[in-house]
Amino acid sequence: MSDILIRANGLSVGFPIGSGLFSKQILKAVDDVSLEIETGSFFGLVGESGSGKTTLGRALLKAVPITGGGAHYNDGEVEYDLENITRDQLKDYRKRAQLIFQDPYAALSPRMTVRDIIAEPLEVMGLTKTRQETDKRVREIAAKCRLNLEHLRRFPHAFSGGQRQRISIARALVSAPNFIVADESVAALDVSIQADVLNLLKQIQSEMGVTFMFISHDLSVVAHTCDHVAVMYLGRLVETAPTRKLFAAARHPYTRALFSAIPSLDPDDRGAVQKLTGEIPSPTNQPSGCKFHTRCPHAIDHCKKVEPQLEIDGTGHAVSCHRWKELMATQAA
Amino acid sequence: MTTTPDPLKPNLAETTGPHVQVVETDAGVERRSKEAYFTASQGQLIWARFKKQRSAMVAACVLAFLILTGLFAPFLSPYNPTIAGKNDDYTNGAPQIPMFCDDNGCSLRPFVHAVERERSQETNFRWVTKVNEDARNYIYFFVEGWDYKLLGVIPMDTHLFGTQEGFVHVFGTDASGKDIFSRTFHAIWTSLQVGTIGVFIAFVLALVIGGVSGYYGGWIDSVLQMITDAVRTVPAIPLFMALAAFMPPELSAEQRFFYISLILGLIGWPTLARRVRTHLLTERNQEYVLAAQLCGASSGHVIRRHLLPSFTSYIIVDLVISFPYMVLSETALSFIGLGLKDPVNSLGVMLQNVTSADVLLNYQWYFIPVIFFIALVMAFVFVGDGLRDAADPYSDNNK
Amino acid sequence: MTALLDVENLTLQFRTDEGLITAVDNVSFSLDKGEVMGLVGESGSGKSVTAKALMHLNARNAVYSPESKITLHTETGPVDVLSLKTPKELNIVRGGAVSMIFQEPMASFAPAISIGNQMVEQLQLHGDYTKEQAKRWSIEMLDRVGISDAGKRFNQYAFELSGGMRQRAMIAMALSTQPKLLIADEPTTALDVTIQAQVIDLMKDLVSEFQMGIVFITHDLGVVAQTADKVNVMYLGRMIENGPVRDVIRQPKHPYTQGLIAALPKLDDLDAPLTPVPGDIPSPLERPSGCVFHTRCRQVVGDVCKHVDPKDRDLDGLHRVACHIYTEEMA
Repeated sequence: MSDILIRANGLSVGFPIGSGLFSKQILKAVDDVSLEIETGSFFGLVGESGSGKTTLGRALLKAVPITGGGAHYNDGEVEYDLENITRDQLKDYRKRAQLIFQDPYAALSPRMTVRDIIAEPLEVMGLTKTRQETDKRVREIAAKCRLNLEHLRRFPHAFSGGQRQRISIARALVSAPNFIVADESVAALDVSIQADVLNLLKQIQSEMGVTFMFISHDLSVVAHTCDHVAVMYLGRLVETAPTRKLFAAARHPYTRALFSAIPSLDPDDRGAVQKLTGEIPSPTNQPSGCKFHTRCPHAIDHCKKVEPQLEIDGTGHAVSCHRWKELMATQAA
Repeated sequence: MTTTPDPLKPNLAETTGPHVQVVETDAGVERRSKEAYFTASQGQLIWARFKKQRSAMVAACVLAFLILTGLFAPFLSPYNPTIAGKNDDYTNGAPQIPMFCDDNGCSLRPFVHAVERERSQETNFRWVTKVNEDARNYIYFFVEGWDYKLLGVIPMDTHLFGTQEGFVHVFGTDASGKDIFSRTFHAIWTSLQVGTIGVFIAFVLALVIGGVSGYYGGWIDSVLQMITDAVRTVPAIPLFMALAAFMPPELSAEQRFFYISLILGLIGWPTLARRVRTHLLTERNQEYVLAAQLCGASSGHVIRRHLLPSFTSYIIVDLVISFPYMVLSETALSFIGLGLKDPVNSLGVMLQNVTSADVLLNYQWYFIPVIFFIALVMAFVFVGDGLRDAADPYSDNNK
Repeated sequence: MTALLDVENLTLQFRTDEGLITAVDNVSFSLDKGEVMGLVGESGSGKSVTAKALMHLNARNAVYSPESKITLHTETGPVDVLSLKTPKELNIVRGGAVSMIFQEPMASFAPAISIGNQMVEQLQLHGDYTKEQAKRWSIEMLDRVGISDAGKRFNQYAFELSGGMRQRAMIAMALSTQPKLLIADEPTTALDVTIQAQVIDLMKDLVSEFQMGIVFITHDLGVVAQTADKVNVMYLGRMIENGPVRDVIRQPKHPYTQGLIAALPKLDDLDAPLTPVPGDIPSPLERPSGCVFHTRCRQVVGDVCKHVDPKDRDLDGLHRVACHIYTEEMA
């Protein structure tokens, strides 16, 4: 049984909105999320825009303040309580947990050479003592990310999206982290390049033993790369399961709708899908009860009133839906 | 006996054959130019883009020329621009254009005709200047004249040109006989100085206030923005008038000069501060800044490594663009008689001198400094625009 | 079927600081009424530039080659799009017989004018409507694209609508002038999958109802498979493969199309490895000679790929491909 690297317990992140002194409203971007990420795994987090997946990823990196619940990090060497982490611990945690961004254009400073970009974490964290040492480490990582070493003195404007994303990955890897959050890291890339970057991430996972949290809106990409998938809707976890289980038998109506919305490559397989109506409600004005009931084709009165809890079974498949057993039964019949 | 080949000097004859010359292939040249583009820093890219804009480049040359004339004004001026250098015999004198030929023949050395002043019954006992076409005042280069300090340091008395006898007034003279040519260059220099000091004060204030406001945000930002807005709403001209009225009349020209610059600086900062703040706010939220912060980078590192470099180009652009407004404000102040006053030489003073109908009808050469003024302001505006276009990545519409 | 659009030898370059950059290179295709053509390609493939050329909408520094010809068949006879000059003439292809919808709907709505007023204005510009008629028709269109409470939405501004609603409103506006040709530039890319599915459905309904031709630009082969009748694959400004959607998607002939399909993660086989197309898309400044794809191709036949531009070849009537593999076999 492998160890748990990250464990979140009822994690919530809220942002105050509106600058009024009296009417402080809290926007709950992440609401009571509990999950476990195994060491060395590739954990997928899926959801539409506004589902809070990015915020959850950043909360686990302690890039946004955690407002409720907690999260623990344990890599065998050190153990941190992310909610009450001290300054020194945080400094060390930064070496162990890193982020890869979505937009390879915004994530690289246009004023620094590729070498300086990759070397920045080393300098900031004081991981290397001399310039030679820094250079050696940069070249090592750049080679690992299949960057042309002759290009290290170039500036980012010389590179295409795929190459920039590899630079971004190299920067995240240079401090030899144990945990990397990849936030939509292939969404901005062209299809022919996307597979290349995904393969690179997989290779890093297997060769360097890095644990990934892979955030994406694209279920088919997640299906191909991740071992375990969690589906989010309006800040809540609606379903989480090992990838195979989820894809074989999705239990939540939302997960199933997500699957059927993926356009099929078969031109003759048109329109035979169950479509969701409406759009994801605004996080400032969340529905009562089950948050999905406004769009759920199977919603009953009970769903509007009572919020379902995440039910987990022995296989690690968890779902938060009042009617999933019923629905699975009708589907099987 | 065999010699060991020097590894540093490969034997070209051996590798390429005796008759093959090492030629630069087109592909090689192209590759090198591409590599130069790829390894070009932002500053180099901005400069490359700036160079491509013809109007901005022309303006930059004009600007450089004007600044140089300002710097070397005493050297270029044949006469002291103050009352000390006046020519009593040639007040309100028309420009004298150096010539090589006249009715008496030609000379290789340029000359102007001497002028004489007389008062007689024929002229109703008024002073009248008369050009004596027979007397020539030859123009010599690098002549000795009035004493000055070049760039304020080196004492010198050599001037670019002058005459040995009589005077030469290329742009004519004013009512008290001061040489307008000399005054113009000194005026450019004065206005540039006022502008520079004004811009500098405004810039320091803007950087501090805008920087604090943009970096810390929150209530500090709100308070500072309120102050900024308050200063912005103060109408400039009435304020200038009030301040000028407040200024004791017994102030010396230098003190007056300093106060004017100070006022301009204190009025000019809000626009710049706002830009610094806006830029910091956008830059602070860039993903690469977050990436640095996620490495545990301190505020100092983020400011030094990311924020400052990101807006130096913008700040330079803003400075250049705000400069003509400083010069204009100084001119406006002096023009309405609240700033510098004759006999101080500033473009505003020179402009003020052209306001009488008499000048329009009889002494049109008073307008020559106005041309320089317009050239200076336009040059700044064009250079500023060119720099902004070059520094703005969005102006780049290549596919 | 009657022809709607003929594009012949379209070549388009941009004059830039770095010299002439070829964006579209000798592209020809045609479209019939009621037909949906998918224009597929990655960034830099020239698909958007091609679409904009159909409306003569490219930036000033665009240079069309003299052989380029775009003919639009309207009720009043064929129109040579590239010869249109004055704004009045261009009205035919901009909002009249041709409409366009964009990836970012905010871009096509003026922020300070209500959606309804914009639609009315556009209708009055392109057709003979009274204000009342225009309003009634606009509300009908909004209703038609599935916007609930259309009468109320008519008076709202674009920023008041959610992303999916905005996309629908834009489609309603584009279709209100009853164009013969609709150009859809990545209309679903910025949307969530569940909303994308709704918009695709809507567009399919509208095609059968209005019988217009659609040029559907996308980088997503799945979306193309779901919407298009025929597909045009572009790479670096070249049209490398085109044909009926079933042929191209099921039996891709060009190594690039094959690579694209292999690179897609497939849900029905999670164990299949993802095979990327090797290398990176060359920068437009470094356009390869010969076949533009040879720098990334796994099936290079020989030097011919590096030096000779492959000709467009007919494989079986409708399915055409520009690749030397097939030239060799035929010869």
